[in-house]
Amino acid sequence: MNGAELLRRGILPGALAGLLGGALIGVALLRVGALPPLARLVGADAWGADFVAHLFAAAVLGAAFGILMWQQRPDAGETLFWGLTYGALWWFLGPLTLLPLLLTGRLGWEVRAAQDAFPSLPGYFLYGGITALVFVILRRHRSDAIGGISAGVLWRGVGAGLLGGCLLGIMLEAQGQLMVFSAMLGSVSRLQAWLITLLVGLLAGLGFALLYPRPRDGAGAGLVRGMIYGFLWWVAGALTLAPLLSGAGLSWSLDAARSGFASLPGYLLFGAATAVFYQWLNLLARLLFVDIAATPDEEGVGAEGLRALGRGAVGGLVGGALFTFVMVQIGFLTTVASLIRATAPLAGFVVHMVIAFIIGASYGLLFRRQSYDVGSALGWGVSYGLFWWILGPMTLMPLLLGATPVWSVAVATALLPSLVGHVAYGAGVGVTFYLLEARHSPWWIPRTEAEAARVARRKEQVLTSAPALWTLVVVVALTFPILLGNP
Amino acid sequence: LSPALRRDALLGACAGLLGGLVVGLAVLAQGSMATMVGPVALSSSGLALAAHLIISATVGAGYGVIFRYEPQSYATGLSSGLLYGLLWWIVWPLTLLPLLMGRGPTWSLVEASADFPSLIGYLFYGGISGLGFHVLVALYLRYAPPARTGPAAGPPSPAIPIRRVLILGGGFAGVGAAQRLEQLLPGDRTLECTLVSQSNYLLFTPMLSEVASSALEAQHISTPVRAVVPRTRFRRAEVEAIDLSGRAVRVRSGPTAPPETLGYDHLVLALGAIPHFHDLSGVEAHSFTLKSLEDAMRLRNHVIAMLEQADVETDPEQRLGQLTFVVAGGGFAGTETIAELFDLVHNVRRYYPNVRRDDLRFVLIHSRDRILPELSAGLAAYALRNLQLRGIEFVLGARVSGATPQAVLLGPDREIATRTFVWTAGNQPNPSLRTLPCERNRAGAVIAETTLRLKGFENVWAIGDCAEIPDPYNEGRPYPPTAQHALREGKVAAENIAAVLAGKPPQPLRFRTIGLLAVLGQRTAVAEIWGHQFSGLLAWLMWRTIYLSKLPGLEKKVRVWLDWTIDLVFPRDIVLTANPAPPSPPPAAAGPVVEEARPRATLAPEAERAS
Repeated sequence: MNGAELLRRGILPGALAGLLGGALIGVALLRVGALPPLARLVGADAWGADFVAHLFAAAVLGAAFGILMWQQRPDAGETLFWGLTYGALWWFLGPLTLLPLLLTGRLGWEVRAAQDAFPSLPGYFLYGGITALVFVILRRHRSDAIGGISAGVLWRGVGAGLLGGCLLGIMLEAQGQLMVFSAMLGSVSRLQAWLITLLVGLLAGLGFALLYPRPRDGAGAGLVRGMIYGFLWWVAGALTLAPLLSGAGLSWSLDAARSGFASLPGYLLFGAATAVFYQWLNLLARLLFVDIAATPDEEGVGAEGLRALGRGAVGGLVGGALFTFVMVQIGFLTTVASLIRATAPLAGFVVHMVIAFIIGASYGLLFRRQSYDVGSALGWGVSYGLFWWILGPMTLMPLLLGATPVWSVAVATALLPSLVGHVAYGAGVGVTFYLLEARHSPWWIPRTEAEAARVARRKEQVLTSAPALWTLVVVVALTFPILLGNP
Repeated sequence: LSPALRRDALLGACAGLLGGLVVGLAVLAQGSMATMVGPVALSSSGLALAAHLIISATVGAGYGVIFRYEPQSYATGLSSGLLYGLLWWIVWPLTLLPLLMGRGPTWSLVEASADFPSLIGYLFYGGISGLGFHVLVALYLRYAPPARTGPAAGPPSPAIPIRRVLILGGGFAGVGAAQRLEQLLPGDRTLECTLVSQSNYLLFTPMLSEVASSALEAQHISTPVRAVVPRTRFRRAEVEAIDLSGRAVRVRSGPTAPPETLGYDHLVLALGAIPHFHDLSGVEAHSFTLKSLEDAMRLRNHVIAMLEQADVETDPEQRLGQLTFVVAGGGFAGTETIAELFDLVHNVRRYYPNVRRDDLRFVLIHSRDRILPELSAGLAAYALRNLQLRGIEFVLGARVSGATPQAVLLGPDREIATRTFVWTAGNQPNPSLRTLPCERNRAGAVIAETTLRLKGFENVWAIGDCAEIPDPYNEGRPYPPTAQHALREGKVAAENIAAVLAGKPPQPLRFRTIGLLAVLGQRTAVAEIWGHQFSGLLAWLMWRTIYLSKLPGLEKKVRVWLDWTIDLVFPRDIVLTANPAPPSPPPAAAGPVVEEARPRATLAPEAERAS
């Protein structure tokens, strides 16, 4: 590792980015009154000392981020998701652990303490994101090309965003949240609210296209990335910008998050849908326009897809069996049985396994060739399982039972056991699918030099910000219901 | 356990210990160790910390094994560590701990909230373990002596072949063996498996007659060997000589190519069989065989050409020959072929207005008194009756004594005038085995032991139609030469080679025939599966389902399925894809005769029409 290079392209831009992110977020935290009392650590008490200390800490954290990102791919999209995870991690490490430990000698790991520190969570999260984006800009060489952004990419982003926006509008309307965006403009008609929602979708799609101009991984990775992207939009949009612009003032309080929770699943699904639409459009563009000479190692979607469907379905059965353990423990089988208007647990089991089978097959289709070891298989599987926790019991199940899905904190916390089941299911699907895939076509075992090069290329493709995505999905899914759920 | 895996487990445990220590001490300072540790009500906090550290190390080893080391991926290590910690929070305090306490997990908000402190603890534990693991391995790789770091330390390097397995023959047996070897030793870079075959595809012979009858596309029933066994080295070449004592095989990729010598540690003989004409005069020169795609295409083109000719032929004698189709051999191949030819001709007859139903003649000649001798008498009788009702003639108990371009001879005074004669009445093992210094049976098949080893050789295995393998379930009589046996033999040969390579004894082949199926044309078949007999539409559906599932390659399955579906609702194709050629590639002596006979016959109607 070259020390001067690390300093020039890792630590310095990281520190600068951290400083900028820290300044922005520091102002916001000041306004919500959640600026960490860092100055007390050094015994200073003057006005503004906290802010200065905060800036200093932010710069240090930014430098550390620069070191961590030194070896990672320099794309904006990849770095952004690393940054978000990094910010979230520091919320746990800073206001919950180090600060109380140093100030009071106690850890702030209780739910109550975490809830007290909640207002700074969006701050840390956004700090990570801003730092990452600024870092990308600062570290870029002048010679670096701007990652292949073309008109086609933007059009795809617009298309995907509009599709996602439609979906978001439908979901928000069902939750009575359609006016969330338009609240900043005062009272508007339904049509205007719809137009604004579509505009948000369009912006989100464009943003995704700019972050990920040419994703090389599959739709599954896009789906998980999109979920986090949607979460970012929820934090930055619904929790931050919308209240700011509507003049209500920034409020990152627990109560605001609780009432905003109703739109969170909508945002997550919206982000996932936008990303998947985008990846599909991208895939279509590649299918139509990319020279076949450039993709010599692809067998074609038909053969690979059918095989992946079968393997995913087998994985689904394994995951479903794991999930059954949870279902039996909490007596959920009868609820599942009600999907076919039956009451017997056995009927519920059959329905459950059929669903597990189908979702497993879809996992195969979306995530083929995405995992390269058991760890990554776990990551993708669990993330996909959590996606289905939002789409399944929170959304589709009430719809199929003839009710309107209610996305409230109470519903989410009541479904916590099901969340654990989905995690188990995802882990089962992911690992089984990976083992089957590895057994049949271990494409990463090289036979010749050429194949070794191919494997290296693919591995590099897979080693993106994926680990950050998995972690963030699980952290959000586990902590939010607990933090928001406790009265 | 590979050295790299052992390293990752060990250093993962160290990192886990570190993570456990940091978090444990932090928790201990708060005096609430219980939730971290487990069900044991430990009396002293020191004991609790010790238990916690042991668990931490074990879980950390799991991290090393699951996530493995990747160079230069500290961010990945940190992040995957966090994930791992969170998953353990679900597994341990939320699930296993309540189970061990005997109250059963509820995963409720109350319980999760109570465990929230440990969630953060697990998060940090995972993060420290993950990052620490990568730092430790990086340090280890930097300072450890290179010999101990193992081969998997750096990026994977290309294979260094040490043990060579050479498979001769690309039929079911050979490809089956290669496939099984790939499965058995997937990551073994010290093994090099090479397959030599004349054709670069695996032919699905049960569907060959359907290609001849224009129901299936020729390419759809054959899969490239390279696609079926992607990690086996494939060579399209002809075997010239096998030197068992020198452990070498000489091959030649073309008539003009120089010969090459391939060495081996284990040799698999799966060269199959070729048609055997019993030296009957004219049969080889004037009959079609059905062994390869070329054969099937040639037969199909020939039959359509015959219809084309007959439609404009005025000489009744010539017409008789053109519209008579004779198959010799009443086994599966012969029966299915005559039925398929019948279907083809009747399916396309309406394109040829001058060919009337009564003009057509289909004859099956069989030397025994009943067809399909492999099936039970009842089913064979059913097949015979069924085909007879449809209009196929059977000449049973008769032997072909010779053939001319215009007729098939049955003994000295009987002949059937035909221009289409298909020979399925005899096979012989590949003649290139005749020179091997080993035991052979009368037909020329090499004799193998029950373990498929060639008698008298440690490292040579013989499978498929070219080998005689005693069947222990059948008083030591040889296994029949069918595809299902060849596949199973290939599999067992590969397993035995893998066993021998691992220093274990090979196992004998024990295989009971699962079933036999023969298709009798449009929507009728006979089947005998595990002793149960089926016939008619049900057997036909079984035939299609079973053989479709056995067809190698997903893509080909889809294509054949589409072909069949199209065949259900559209007429068969009569496009001539090549000029009708003589039945077999003519041997040097017989060549001119055949060449002369064909053009005259084809040109005659044309001349008449022109006049």
